[in-house]
Amino acid sequence: MRSAIVLGCVVLLAACSNPRQEVTSQLAQQVLLPAHQQWHDRNAALVQAVKGFCEGDAERTSVAQAFMASQQGWSYLQPLMVGPLSEGNRSWQVQFYPDKRNMVAQQAEALLDSHDPLTQQALDGASVVVQGLTAFEYVLFDDSVELQADKARYCPMLMGIAHHQQGLSGEVMALWEEAGGMLAQLTDFPNDRYASAEDALGGVLRVQITGVDVLKKKLGTPMGRLNQGVAQPYQAEAWRSRQSVASLQASLAGAQAVWERVRSLVSDGELAGKIDQAYAETRDKLEALPAPLFELVQDPANQPLLQDLYRSLDTLETLQQAELASDLGIQIGFNANDGD
Amino acid sequence: MPLTRRTLLSAGAALAGVAAVGGWAFWQGRGQSPLLLSARNDDAGQHYCAGYFLDGKQAFATPVHERCHDITRHPFLPLALFVGRRPSRESYLIDLRDGTLVQTLHSEPQRHFYGHAVFHRQGEWLYATENDLSDPGRGVLGRYRLDLDALRLVRDGEVPTHGVGPHQLKWMPDGESLVIANGGIRTESDSREKMNLDAMAPSLVIMDRHGERFSKETPEHRQNSIRHLAVADDGTVVSGQQYQGPAWDSVPLLAIKRPGQPYQTFPVATEQLAMMNQYTASIAIHSEQRLVAMTAPRGNRFFVWDLDTAETVVDTPMSDCAGVGVVPSGFAVTSGQGRCRHFDCRGGSVTSEWLDLPSGWWDNHLWLS
Repeated sequence: MRSAIVLGCVVLLAACSNPRQEVTSQLAQQVLLPAHQQWHDRNAALVQAVKGFCEGDAERTSVAQAFMASQQGWSYLQPLMVGPLSEGNRSWQVQFYPDKRNMVAQQAEALLDSHDPLTQQALDGASVVVQGLTAFEYVLFDDSVELQADKARYCPMLMGIAHHQQGLSGEVMALWEEAGGMLAQLTDFPNDRYASAEDALGGVLRVQITGVDVLKKKLGTPMGRLNQGVAQPYQAEAWRSRQSVASLQASLAGAQAVWERVRSLVSDGELAGKIDQAYAETRDKLEALPAPLFELVQDPANQPLLQDLYRSLDTLETLQQAELASDLGIQIGFNANDGD
Repeated sequence: MPLTRRTLLSAGAALAGVAAVGGWAFWQGRGQSPLLLSARNDDAGQHYCAGYFLDGKQAFATPVHERCHDITRHPFLPLALFVGRRPSRESYLIDLRDGTLVQTLHSEPQRHFYGHAVFHRQGEWLYATENDLSDPGRGVLGRYRLDLDALRLVRDGEVPTHGVGPHQLKWMPDGESLVIANGGIRTESDSREKMNLDAMAPSLVIMDRHGERFSKETPEHRQNSIRHLAVADDGTVVSGQQYQGPAWDSVPLLAIKRPGQPYQTFPVATEQLAMMNQYTASIAIHSEQRLVAMTAPRGNRFFVWDLDTAETVVDTPMSDCAGVGVVPSGFAVTSGQGRCRHFDCRGGSVTSEWLDLPSGWWDNHLWLS
């Protein structure tokens, strides 16, 4: 780069004089950064769990628990994913979803066939399809994988993915915490990313609202909403580990954490109450699901239950996308979603 | 002042120097900030043909029925055509003095606009990329004559663009030949649905305005739709692509055709490609500074590179960055979601300031005059 960009305008607003700046700063320091740190810590724990299992000091269940923690840490992050994790194709490296053509299984086995044993360098240089939690889940949970009996083949992949995730989350944390990094960009204005706290708050809310829309897709796709009503259980997120509902719950909790910080800015008390209620209803309906999503979608008798949950998500999305955005004067999308 | 042929031509005479000395010099010579033309929306979804001075003052905002995309200014009359966005069948001829809608230009039956058009340098002809709906995707270059007596653009004919799904077109320095980005994607009438992603045929065509083809070249990747263009004063063409393949693929999204050389990849860093989310929008070349700028709205990223060495000059986040245009000091950039920016690229350092233009809702192209 020829030189760093020097911002022409250096007028900084006093944080406490602007409620939106205060909320944005709180979001950054008390919600977004801690969520990234939690994800990073869980990735570090995943490395240790794999090491214990592959060296024979721990059972497979300890790896499964560590995987679920990483998966949920990632799910919690998705509605909060402003900045580095959403850029540079990094999110594809965390999770390859949706996997419409079962590419994870095919490419994981092909990579293992071509490297004996698989090296970290080979995995880091391979496709994003095999670098993330979806490939890890395949090795750990797929019925076709004889993990216990063939540790020599599969442990290098588990360890490689765990290290890759740890490296990725470490890189993202550094980009948040460095001087002028994402944390600074969400607290001191103007900066190279945002002209004002209003811009930054808009950026956070757009991601959060989009995140709720993604939840609808994660539920609706296995229900068959995109497939003429024919269920697609293998299109459920984390179907191999039966963690779809837990992932949805974690993402909803992440979205709600943003909402709870933003609520104070809403001028319409009735609207705030409706959004509170929509979160509570959706959370309750998720908790009440009696079985993994992979199983629920395959029995037509469960359709009313799932449709009811879908409607709750839809209500939540509409309240936020239309009414909350309007109340706060936040623009949701334009060219980025509908360009040419 | 009422809009008549006499008043328009009078204004045209006063503005005739614009083409010769450049719009910036003209407006600044009159003590005014440059005029930015762009399609824009408001919060309620109303579409506008908008003109704002870069200092933030609104010149006009004319509500129109359809969303527009690119703009082409008449070379000396105070007129500009705001071109309907794919698959629109309307474009709007606007009087730049006050925003009056002079004409709603309707596409021919079995044709729709693709969002881009150019006025010929002598001011009599306008050329627009269009879709032949009787053979969806077959690109045609619609030809329109500006009838000064009636103050109307009148359809005069068409020639093929020698490709499928044409998008942006630009004049080459001779002012007679055109470079056309044939995106390679077939779409049906009134639809933006892509019909042939497995059999795309993008191409970069250089042809004269009467349809004679001089060259036709293709990108390395068949699913790399060539969409947007900029041409330097020396005839160097830079194109921006939108990749239709998997989101995680790493494919080149910029290409360059230097005078006398084949069309080839413009070498940008893999990390920068990953920031673009397979989608480039607007391109501008600053011929004096030898810089090329590009917006990547889906990646929320704005870039400037040295046109000759491909060295990175600017690589910065910018929310839904949309249109980019050349100003003497560097570039002005609009945004679909946030504040617009100015980048001063003179000298050894780049400085940036946020402009006082309205925030957000700017479409992907702009025209500065």
